[in-house]
Amino acid sequence: MFHKFGLGGLTHELWLAPTAIGYHLQVLDAWSGPVALVVEGTGRGRLTVAGVSEAVAFAVDGDVVHVHLRGRTRSLRYVDPLQALASVAADDGHNLARAPMPGAVVALKVAPGDAVTAGTVLMVIESMKLETQIRASQDGIVERLHVKDGDSFDRDAILVTLLQGN
Amino acid sequence: MVPAPFPFDTVLIANRGEIAVRIIGSLRKLGLRAAIVYHDVDAAAPAVALADVAIRISGKSPVSAYLDGGQIIEAARTVGAGALHPGYGFLSENASFARAVTAAGIAFIGPTPEVIELMGDKIRARSFVERNGFPVAPSAIEESDPSTFLARARSIGAPLLVKPSAGGGGKGMRIVRDLDLLEDAVAEARSEGQRYFADGRLYVERYVERPRHIEVQVLGDAFGSVVHLLERECSVQRRFQKIIEETPSPALSMPMRQKICETAAGIARAAGYRNAGTVEFIFGGGEFYFLEMNTRLQVEHPVTEMITGVDLVAEQIAVAANRPLSFRQSDISAQGHAIEARLYAESPERGFSPTSGKVLMLEYPHEQGVRVDGGIAQGQSITTAFDPMLAKVIVHAPTRDAAVAKAMRAVQNLVLLGCETNAGFLARVLGDHGFQSGEVHTGYLDENPSIALDPDDAADDVARLLAIAALVMRPVRDAADAVPALHADIGEWRN
Repeated sequence: MFHKFGLGGLTHELWLAPTAIGYHLQVLDAWSGPVALVVEGTGRGRLTVAGVSEAVAFAVDGDVVHVHLRGRTRSLRYVDPLQALASVAADDGHNLARAPMPGAVVALKVAPGDAVTAGTVLMVIESMKLETQIRASQDGIVERLHVKDGDSFDRDAILVTLLQGN
Repeated sequence: MVPAPFPFDTVLIANRGEIAVRIIGSLRKLGLRAAIVYHDVDAAAPAVALADVAIRISGKSPVSAYLDGGQIIEAARTVGAGALHPGYGFLSENASFARAVTAAGIAFIGPTPEVIELMGDKIRARSFVERNGFPVAPSAIEESDPSTFLARARSIGAPLLVKPSAGGGGKGMRIVRDLDLLEDAVAEARSEGQRYFADGRLYVERYVERPRHIEVQVLGDAFGSVVHLLERECSVQRRFQKIIEETPSPALSMPMRQKICETAAGIARAAGYRNAGTVEFIFGGGEFYFLEMNTRLQVEHPVTEMITGVDLVAEQIAVAANRPLSFRQSDISAQGHAIEARLYAESPERGFSPTSGKVLMLEYPHEQGVRVDGGIAQGQSITTAFDPMLAKVIVHAPTRDAAVAKAMRAVQNLVLLGCETNAGFLARVLGDHGFQSGEVHTGYLDENPSIALDPDDAADDVARLLAIAALVMRPVRDAADAVPALHADIGEWRN
């Protein structure tokens, strides 16, 4: 099984396998070779890729990995196959789509009154240069959009209220 | 024990973030006690931990707490503060606050309320400067005769800049290159002035194309002594917000530097200026015009400290303690070149919109001649409640080229994980050919929007980033480690 990571607007598929001396990374259709990370204190380490070693800093926050490499900071999201839907909470017959992380709205995909089914993309948000789709967790009618294009929001902010279908 | 050399032993800091930390540094050096006020959202901030005493304040919003003069003066009384440092922003240029502080028997570390009022009113300040014989841009002031305002504005000739009298931070400003559009611009600026400052008064002045922002640090004492501490150039801006500042300015010849610095000192002297202040000028086409005077410590003051060796906050405190300046103009000399880059919690790639998040890892660069004035701590949450500036990276080197290289290195070596910042953008500006050759003006970033865009990751970097992510992400690592040893023994397998 391949694992998926989002980086910038792209999704990369990869496979990691142990070898006698470390690990072998295969990035689908792109790259393959030996990799190793020697952790030197919290969030600091020495990365060796194809024989080239360098210092890196990293932090894991849920499914997001923040990396400082070669003077630049990047964030990657692990796409967990079991958590394809955004976090939701039912409340008095309403269904709220909340922000899984602080970010901003890139594009709204629905309007109030639209009927949606579970999995429909409600909006695309961006955080840490990663684009994420916010999907409906179940069937319903879009009752209210709490944000507009370009709006910033904090983690757990309510983005969309769905009126549950029956 | 050496007796305290000041008429007060405790100073209350009515501010937060990096500037509060910065002020505490000088208070420590002077042997004074540092007191601070803080809102709950700042409870984990370094300034609160560093202060000798911290008083909690509250408000409808975090910002409103720091704007609540009554609560802050009460806190100053509670801790027995004999002086109050307002930092920048918040109440630093609020004349009635300065008056209330003084009335409470507490020394306000800043100029007199009268001077704050004079310089806070753009039109009065401009008239004052003009009356005293210093250069101002040709202009038309609406309130001097509203019926002829548009005609007077037209007679200056295009391009024009329409500004709200009560303005600041670029809000409500309009550039008019076609005089047919003047009336519309005036209406728009008036409505924005009403909205932001509850004041619809306007003035119009000659707009300098491709202007450079040059400002001069001044310092005056209570005995009429005023000196300047040379200039700073702050032309790298976006939407009138400064991003990178430096001194000396690469745009000034020696005679021009002397002229502009002496003009600034002259303006401050004419105003009877006391404490630290900054006179800002528009510079272009070999001419300079008075823009405004900021009656407080500036965000970018550290570049001046780097090249002159003067601790401006310590001088501010000495002046507030009624001490004469300890140096004269002839004692001020510049060594080398200093650059400051402002680290913001914002996304340049996304129209500079503010970002938030928890600081999971924070490491400042360590190198000789590198100073970081920061106001955040690892573990702290960055919210959009305040101005998005997180820290300032300031470098000092013998030459401008060396300073640019050092600033680039420092910005790239600063590690802040968990909240998106403009660090990559700062590195791109510092690496930009136009910036490096010194050919910038206040509209430079708008004219070169590609600098804001993050280049795609090199394939080589993508492989490395994915390698780290795969190796530290639990499910991926666990899945790999669950592979049978037999399979693993094959070693370098290929698909």
